[in-house]
Amino acid sequence: MGEYKKPLPLITKLSRVFYDGCKENKLLFQKCEDCNEIIFFPKELCPKCMGHNLAWKESKGKGKIYTFTVTYDFAPPEFMEDVPYALAIINLDEGFSMMSNIVECDFDKLTCEMPVEVVFDPVTVEITLPRFRPVEPQG
Amino acid sequence: MKTIRGKAAIVGIGEVPTGMYPERSFIEAAVSASEMAIKDAGIPKEEIDTIIPIGVVSNALDNANMICSWMVEELGMGPTAKSNFQIMSGGSSSANSLKTAISLVLTGLSKGVLVIHCDRMGTGLDLATAITMFSKASISQEYETPYGFSQLALAGFLQQRYMYDTGTTERQIAAVVESLRKWAALNPNAFLKKTKTVDEILDSKVISSPVRKRMMNILCDGAAAFIVTGAERARDLTDCPAYVLGMGSRCTNFTVTSQPQDIRKAWGPAADDAYEMAGIVPEDVDVAEIYDAFPTFILISMELLRLVERGKAGSFVEQGHTSPGGKLPVSTNGAMMAQGHTGAGGGVAILVEAARQVMGKAGKRQVKDANIVIETASGGVGMDFHVGILGREV
Repeated sequence: MGEYKKPLPLITKLSRVFYDGCKENKLLFQKCEDCNEIIFFPKELCPKCMGHNLAWKESKGKGKIYTFTVTYDFAPPEFMEDVPYALAIINLDEGFSMMSNIVECDFDKLTCEMPVEVVFDPVTVEITLPRFRPVEPQG
Repeated sequence: MKTIRGKAAIVGIGEVPTGMYPERSFIEAAVSASEMAIKDAGIPKEEIDTIIPIGVVSNALDNANMICSWMVEELGMGPTAKSNFQIMSGGSSSANSLKTAISLVLTGLSKGVLVIHCDRMGTGLDLATAITMFSKASISQEYETPYGFSQLALAGFLQQRYMYDTGTTERQIAAVVESLRKWAALNPNAFLKKTKTVDEILDSKVISSPVRKRMMNILCDGAAAFIVTGAERARDLTDCPAYVLGMGSRCTNFTVTSQPQDIRKAWGPAADDAYEMAGIVPEDVDVAEIYDAFPTFILISMELLRLVERGKAGSFVEQGHTSPGGKLPVSTNGAMMAQGHTGAGGGVAILVEAARQVMGKAGKRQVKDANIVIETASGGVGMDFHVGILGREV
């Protein structure tokens, strides 16, 4: 396996918690203990009540594709060797959204609202990226 | 809401051709567009005491120099200028600079304001650098960059979900481009002046599904400027000012992942505010100058402005109603899809076109009786939505 040359996530105090979770195959999000707001991307401050009492929770990693696109050309330079690849915004069952790739799928069969589940992809020793695949195997 | 209805106006506009102009320097284009706007207004330059350059994307040094009063020196405004400062909110810089200019003239802090946008997105940077930039700006480095997202993928996201929600067809999306190309063919400042049929547009390859190559905008060089004064002074200067009748805005998110999925609820109020301030209803609109970046955004915006029913924008465009001669002309300069994408300038060009139609200066593409023109803008990956209404009469 060659060296991973694509951009790795910026690691901050907050994103470290998220990616440490991914390394253990846990998809983490936050919940405000004061107002119950579901929060993602992770934040220091609850954007609803401005409280700091935020707790990390583990998602079951299941959700639906809100929207997606399969990129064939004009990808960011580091990703040109990967085309075509599928990007999506996924609405997780716990009530938050995230961007990721859809993998292990037939691009022609992807649709909005398709049920998907997380799969963890260890791209380097330090970083594991959460990606998603259709829940129902595609024929 | 305290109204600004009819209290300020755009009194002069200027624009250089949009396209690939490697021999045209940055400052040459910026000075030229400003000169045209000042002469168009017939305003003594001593009356322009505030200069607002819009952020330059292609070159950090040109941007820094515009912030550092480059235009004041070039235009000889030193003896009378009070302020030079940048406004930058990407594609919505037009709306935010107009809001700021109106506030300055209505409070009496300024007599006249020059807003100038200039950029060299076509020849001032190479394509790889441009793609890289649009795969980093307005995108989360922690949670989006690792997946290969870019602002082209954004166009795919938007079109995919819009087609799913409304049943809009690919032919109808392509019809938006066809309409814009027809307008651009009448616009001497547009880059893509050759018309394209729906079939020709659908014949281009898929870039980021379902977006095809001819549904993408093209990065270009360009510059446009406008001048704002109070309404009384506007009447002295010209018999055709473009009065600002209403404005409304909503600013909701940084990333596309966090963009509200019920966009009508989140952004619809921007249109409601503008209509209420102007004291008009959507049926009163003669021309809609809608900010695009890509064709689906025009359809979504037409619905947000309540110019068509939800899900009906595509068939409305397909029937030719937005094209030259149609009952509701849309984006009569060809917008970024056909005039060209100049960085933060797409919104400025569309605002200038709105004023141009109201002023009756649109040449071959002039819409008869363009008494009320609505215009929109949006920045980032769709971080905000701004609506402005311009009119011939107060």
